[in-house]
Amino acid sequence: MTLTDFVSFLVKNTKTIMEYSENHFTLVLLAVGISLLIWVPVGLLLTKSDKWAARVLALANTIFCIPSLSMFAILVTIPMFGLGRKSALLALVLYAMMPLIRSVYDGVKNVDRNVIEAARGMGMSTKRILVEILVPLGMPIIFAGFRITVVMTTGIAAIATYIGERNLGRFIQEGLVRSNTPMMVTGALIISIIAIGLDTILGVIEKRIVPKGLRVSR
Amino acid sequence: MRWENFRFALFEKAPEALLEHSMIVVITITLAILISVPLGVFLSRPKYKKFGLVTLNILNLLQAVPGIAVIALALPILGLGMKPAIVALLFQSLLPIVRNTIAGLLGVSSDVKEAASGMGMSQRRILWEVELPLAIPIILSGIRTATVYVVSIGTLASLIGAGGLGNLIMGGLSLFRPEYLLVGAGLGALMAIFLDRMINYLEYRITPPGMRVE
Repeated sequence: MTLTDFVSFLVKNTKTIMEYSENHFTLVLLAVGISLLIWVPVGLLLTKSDKWAARVLALANTIFCIPSLSMFAILVTIPMFGLGRKSALLALVLYAMMPLIRSVYDGVKNVDRNVIEAARGMGMSTKRILVEILVPLGMPIIFAGFRITVVMTTGIAAIATYIGERNLGRFIQEGLVRSNTPMMVTGALIISIIAIGLDTILGVIEKRIVPKGLRVSR
Repeated sequence: MRWENFRFALFEKAPEALLEHSMIVVITITLAILISVPLGVFLSRPKYKKFGLVTLNILNLLQAVPGIAVIALALPILGLGMKPAIVALLFQSLLPIVRNTIAGLLGVSSDVKEAASGMGMSQRRILWEVELPLAIPIILSGIRTATVYVVSIGTLASLIGAGGLGNLIMGGLSLFRPEYLLVGAGLGALMAIFLDRMINYLEYRITPPGMRVE
């Protein structure tokens, strides 16, 4: 395996790489979109009741523990889902539950009580407090959860190739089966670069998004 | 689904796979603790703090690399078998423990440390008798994260010939035998959840009563 192998593989398979990347990104986008739509409201709701928050967070933690390959394998055996995108999506959405709910819950709960009281004293309604105080002030933590979700989903989506998704994980799968090292390494490198890139970009945004007064030097 | 297949998977195949999987997890986590806790202690000393940030950034980058990519990259460099798998897993299990060791040690309030040095304790004794005991719950929580992670990615290690529960799952997927899938995946999930709960309990027991947070 030399650099020339790598480059020639890239040049020869540009079309396939583009196709797989497209599949990969649509899956990740769909999964993250659905997760945001479901779990952010759930996280916000949970701030109302500590009892339910503890229960749901424990459940989310348990789901998060399940190895990703196991999760895909279990979903495949359920007749309604089977091989393919439905199982992959459900697994990814279930994994996103823990980071998203936790970060929304922590973010909102971390807001200073005095600020909320001041807002209420100024006559803000509960809804306005939520939209104008809780969410903006909780944003840094919420965004950190979002960042983890995106990077994690990108990685786990690659494993979905074993249940029939045609995405970047397929290079690794086929490379292993055919002992085609350039293919495997290319796949692994592309996924790693995408994951690291996303992590870095979102990390920069995460720093920007924090209100100046809240910035903590790390 | 047939009962015979199920029984075969559970009683003939699973014990060996489970044993291999446990071995991978135990060896990896032991090595990870042996490397990362001293590293964390070293990096949290005021003298070496500037290395801390660099190391954490590097480990952060390593952590962002998906597990399947690490496994795939380990094959051409390290070859087939259990050893390469353990090395690959080791790379990614370092970060949570190092990060939590540093966070735990830096979290010890400086009043406590001052009181200890005022009582005439040496730096070394402060580390062993004050800082580490107070930081252990946080370090354990890092070890818990790493353990769950290793169990999870350990199922992928079967791809490079390390054996373990991944063998059952991969076999089940390629032969399309749901029984194999259920046994392999179920045991993997149970193992991860069990270890998570166990270390969580240990964390709870080891935290001094005065420090427990509701």
